[in-house]
Amino acid sequence: MTKQLKLPEKMLSSRRLLRRVLIKIAIYAALILISYQFIYPILRMIVLSMMSDRDIMNPAVTWIPSNFTFNNLRVALNTLDLQKTLVGSMWFSVLLAVSQTLVSSLTGYAFARYEFPGKRIWFVMVLMSFVIPTPVVVIPRIMMFTGIQESVEGLQLIGTWIPQTVMAILGQGIYSAVLILICYNFFRMIPRSLDEAASIDGANSFQVFLHVILRLSISTVLVVFLFSFVWNWNESYLTNTFLRGSVPLLPNRLAMFDSLFASYAQGTGTNADPEFRINEAYKMSGTLIAILPLLIMYLFVQRQFIKGIENAGITGE
Amino acid sequence: MVLKRDRPKTIARRKSITGYLFMSPWILGFLIFTAFPFVYTIYLSFYEVQSTILGYELTPIGIGNYVVALLRNAEFVPSLVSFMIMEITYAPTIVIISFILALLLNRPMRGRGFLRMLFFLPVIVMSGPVMQQIADSGAASMTGIEDQFIFVVIDNIAPWLAEALFYLFENFSMVLWFTGIPIILFINGLQKLNGSVLEAAMIDSATPWQILWKITIPILRPVFLVVMIFTVVQISIYTSGTGAVLDLVQSAIFNTSSGFGLASAFAWIYSLAVLLFIGCAFLLLKEPKDTPVKIQKRLERKWSAR
Repeated sequence: MTKQLKLPEKMLSSRRLLRRVLIKIAIYAALILISYQFIYPILRMIVLSMMSDRDIMNPAVTWIPSNFTFNNLRVALNTLDLQKTLVGSMWFSVLLAVSQTLVSSLTGYAFARYEFPGKRIWFVMVLMSFVIPTPVVVIPRIMMFTGIQESVEGLQLIGTWIPQTVMAILGQGIYSAVLILICYNFFRMIPRSLDEAASIDGANSFQVFLHVILRLSISTVLVVFLFSFVWNWNESYLTNTFLRGSVPLLPNRLAMFDSLFASYAQGTGTNADPEFRINEAYKMSGTLIAILPLLIMYLFVQRQFIKGIENAGITGE
Repeated sequence: MVLKRDRPKTIARRKSITGYLFMSPWILGFLIFTAFPFVYTIYLSFYEVQSTILGYELTPIGIGNYVVALLRNAEFVPSLVSFMIMEITYAPTIVIISFILALLLNRPMRGRGFLRMLFFLPVIVMSGPVMQQIADSGAASMTGIEDQFIFVVIDNIAPWLAEALFYLFENFSMVLWFTGIPIILFINGLQKLNGSVLEAAMIDSATPWQILWKITIPILRPVFLVVMIFTVVQISIYTSGTGAVLDLVQSAIFNTSSGFGLASAFAWIYSLAVLLFIGCAFLLLKEPKDTPVKIQKRLERKWSAR
C-alpha cells in the first residue's frame, strides 16, 4: 500500500494549506468533469428515450422533454421482443459463463500448483490466445463444425448453441486468457501448506482443488463468472457467426433494431403514421432496454465486482 | 492384470502428469480452436474455397485473394485505414487518460467508491450493437467541436492533425468508455508500489512530480504494456462507427460467391494490422533490460545507501 506522508493540517503554513485546498478542488473538478463525460451517453439515452417525436426535432429541447412519454419504451419493448430475448440471452450467457469459469479455474490451478515440462511455453500460449484476433480463427472453426455436421447424419451444429459451448468448455471462449490469469494469480496466493495438509489427510489432487482452492476463492470465482457472463452477454461477433439467430439474444436484436422496427410498424399497420418513423428516441429506448438488465445486475454486485478485481489482479508479475 | 512399468513413477513425474490432466481441456481447445485455425487461415488465404455438396474444394490461386483484397475491393482498404487511424489515436489516449484517472482515484478522498463504480460502469454495458446505436444517434458526440476557435486554428496549420483530433473528440465519451479495465489495472499496479521507496524519495525532498516521472512510471512500465495490449485488442473487437473492417470480414464469410478464401485474406490482413500494433506496443514499452523488480531493488539500494 502507498503510504501517504502528510503533515497534519495544523502544522502547515496558511499558504501551503491554501495550495492543498486548491489542488483538492482542482482534482474534484477534473473528476466530476470526466465522470460527466463518462455517463453523458447514458444520460442522453435516458432523456432521448422519453422524448416525443416533436421534442426530438425541436432544437430548443436538449435535456428536459416538454412532455414525458413512455410510448417509445413500450414500442421498443415490443420491437425487441424482450421476454424471449431476455430469457435467451440469460441462459446462453450463463451456460457459457459456467463453462468458462470451470475451465479457467482448472487451468489456473494447474499453472499455480503444478510443475510440468513445457509450463512456460503453455503460459506464453495462453497470452498468445488473448492476442490472436478472433476473425483470423473463425473461418477454420466454421469449416470444422460444418465438416462434422455433414459427416454425421441428422446432426445440426451451426445455428445451435453447441459450437460456442464446446469452445467455451475447451477454454477458447471470449477473453478466456484473462479469466485464466485472474484465477492463476489468486490461486498462487493461497498457502501451499493448506493443500499439503489436505493431501496428508488423504485428499487427491482433484479434491484439493475442489475443497481447498475453490472453497477459499469463492469471491474470485464469482468475479470470473460475472466477467464471463457480461462479456458473453455483450458478445455479438461469434453469436452472429455460430448461433445465427437460433437463440434470441438481446444485443443481436438491438443490432437489427432499425429493420425490426420497420417490420413492427408494418405489422401493426401504423407505418403510414408520420410519427411512427424510426428516430433517435426509439433507437435510444431500445438501447436503454438492452442494457437495463446488466445495469440492474451491476447495481447489486458492483461492490464484489470491483473488490474482486482489485484483490485478484489481472496483471500479476 | 498387472501393468508393466518401464520406469518407476517418481513424485515429480506423477505431479507433472496431474498438472497436464488439469490443463488438458484448455490445451485441447487451444490446439483445435486457436493454433490450428490460425495456421490454416493463412493456408486458406492462398486458395479459392468453394463449398460443394461433397465438402470444401480448394483451388490454389497464389496471391489472388490478396490482390482482390488490397487492389480490387473498393471497401476493404479504406475501412482498414480508418481502423488503423482509430487504433493510433484511441489507444495512446485511452492509456494516458486511464493512468491519470487511476492516479487521481488512488488517493484517499470522499466519494471514491462511487467514482470507481461510475468509471467501471461502461465495462458492463459496452457491446458492439450498443456502441453502434449510440454512435448512430449522436448521443456520444460533443456538439460543435469543429467550430471551436482552437480547432479552426489547428485545422489551418495542420489539417491532418485536425482530422485526427476530430476523430478523437467526435466520440470522446466512447473513448472514455474503453478506460474501465485499464483504470483498474493501473490502480492495482499503484497499490503494489513499495511504500518505502516513495517515503525515501519524499524524505529526500523529491517533489510529487519527480516521484511520478522517476519512480512511479518506470516501475509501472509493465502495467503500461499490459494496458496498451489490452486496449489495442479491445478496440479491435468493437465494430462501432468507422471500425467496420470487422463487419467486412464477417460479410465476406457469409458471401458464398467469393468464398472463404477471400474472407481468410481479409481476416489475415486485418489480424496482421492488430498484431503489428501489439508488436509496436511491445517494442515501445518493454523493459529496456531491467525487470521492474530490479529497478525497485536498485532504487531501494540507492535510497538506503544515502
